[in-house]
Amino acid sequence: MVKKKIAKILAFRYKLLAGILILLAGGLVLLPKYQEHEGIKPQELLSNVISPERYITTDQVAHKLINRDPSFILIDVRDEKSYANYSLPNALNIPLKKLLDEDSKSYLNQNQFDVVLYSNDHFYADQAWILCNRLGFKNIRVLKGGLNCWFKTIINPMKPSENMPTEAFDLYSTRKASSMYFGVVYPEQANVAGSETKIKAPKRVITVQKRKKKPAEGGC
Amino acid sequence: MGPLIPNGVIPMEWDSIIAILIGIVFGFILEASGFSSSRKLAGVFYGYDFAVLKVFFTAAVVSLIGLYYMDYLGYLDIAQLYVHPLYLWGAIIGGIIMGAGFVAGGFCPGTSLCAVAIGKIDAMIYVVGIMIGVFLFSELFPLLEPIYNGYFYGNITLQDSLGINPYWAVFIFSIIAIVAFVISDIVRKKQKKIFY
Repeated sequence: MVKKKIAKILAFRYKLLAGILILLAGGLVLLPKYQEHEGIKPQELLSNVISPERYITTDQVAHKLINRDPSFILIDVRDEKSYANYSLPNALNIPLKKLLDEDSKSYLNQNQFDVVLYSNDHFYADQAWILCNRLGFKNIRVLKGGLNCWFKTIINPMKPSENMPTEAFDLYSTRKASSMYFGVVYPEQANVAGSETKIKAPKRVITVQKRKKKPAEGGC
Repeated sequence: MGPLIPNGVIPMEWDSIIAILIGIVFGFILEASGFSSSRKLAGVFYGYDFAVLKVFFTAAVVSLIGLYYMDYLGYLDIAQLYVHPLYLWGAIIGGIIMGAGFVAGGFCPGTSLCAVAIGKIDAMIYVVGIMIGVFLFSELFPLLEPIYNGYFYGNITLQDSLGINPYWAVFIFSIIAIVAFVISDIVRKKQKKIFY
């Protein structure tokens, strides 16, 4: 009895399978279409935005520059005019408008270097960072406080008052030394040196390998 | 997430190993389903056995539907998949030559090697024929090069050239598959049964 029933159903097996096939294929046609997200998910982006991990301090950048750390790229996201006016040594200029150009992408979308974005303050650089993060680019950092902070802390560090802890004095002397590296001449030093010595870090050539997109080969 | 190798989920270095594993499984299933018999393959052309047509068409349709569902659910980016480049006349002429060889010899290149593995003499001769063909092609390559490299249309698909929605293309393709199966069944029933 049971066998007969099974045989009855099995007689329709090809029709059944054909029906499933049409159902599945028809399902594809009837599925609601949606705009696919490019890059990372919105939730991930939000949690990245909240996290302060992306910030790098001016002291860290100064330290890297003085040690000629080859592992990072500085990118100035202000316009060309401001970049020509003043920028950090060896920085590249990618204005925010050109951020998503094909040329800029080879610098931003790679994982050989850390990329440090900066602007006058860090808000403009943050905008660039969000765009990059949204597209899933890795190793993108933002200089906390931007160039304004750079001036306040590295180029023209505040002299600590006498009642401040030793760490403040240590920090001051480090910052003073780095400002001298970046070409600031202090009066007590100028007397010794006699003439103004402008130390300019040599321009570094940054080569970024374009990521090769190798198509998968196929065949029968 | 996918495709796995281009997105670095599986390192690039593994692809030869994976290819060998897939090749072993593919060869095993070809042999297990009897495709290493030239009579089964020739059956498609004489109308007494449509297993080859059914197997390959079903495989294509199932993977096509599966890939599009995976694309829809975000497990796979269909735009990243490899699309074979189209050299129009090269494909047409090559297809005709291969089809003629297929009918005459009863093997396609893959199944001929399967049959060699189980010791079929006709398959060995077939493979020698393939080698002669390869040799002739290499020797005549300067002559054939304009066809080989010409009429290039890029990595296009039916959807690009016809401009239809891929989902509709999949649907129509599945309907065609089922119609082909039904027709092949009718043809097979009209033929005299052959035991081999």
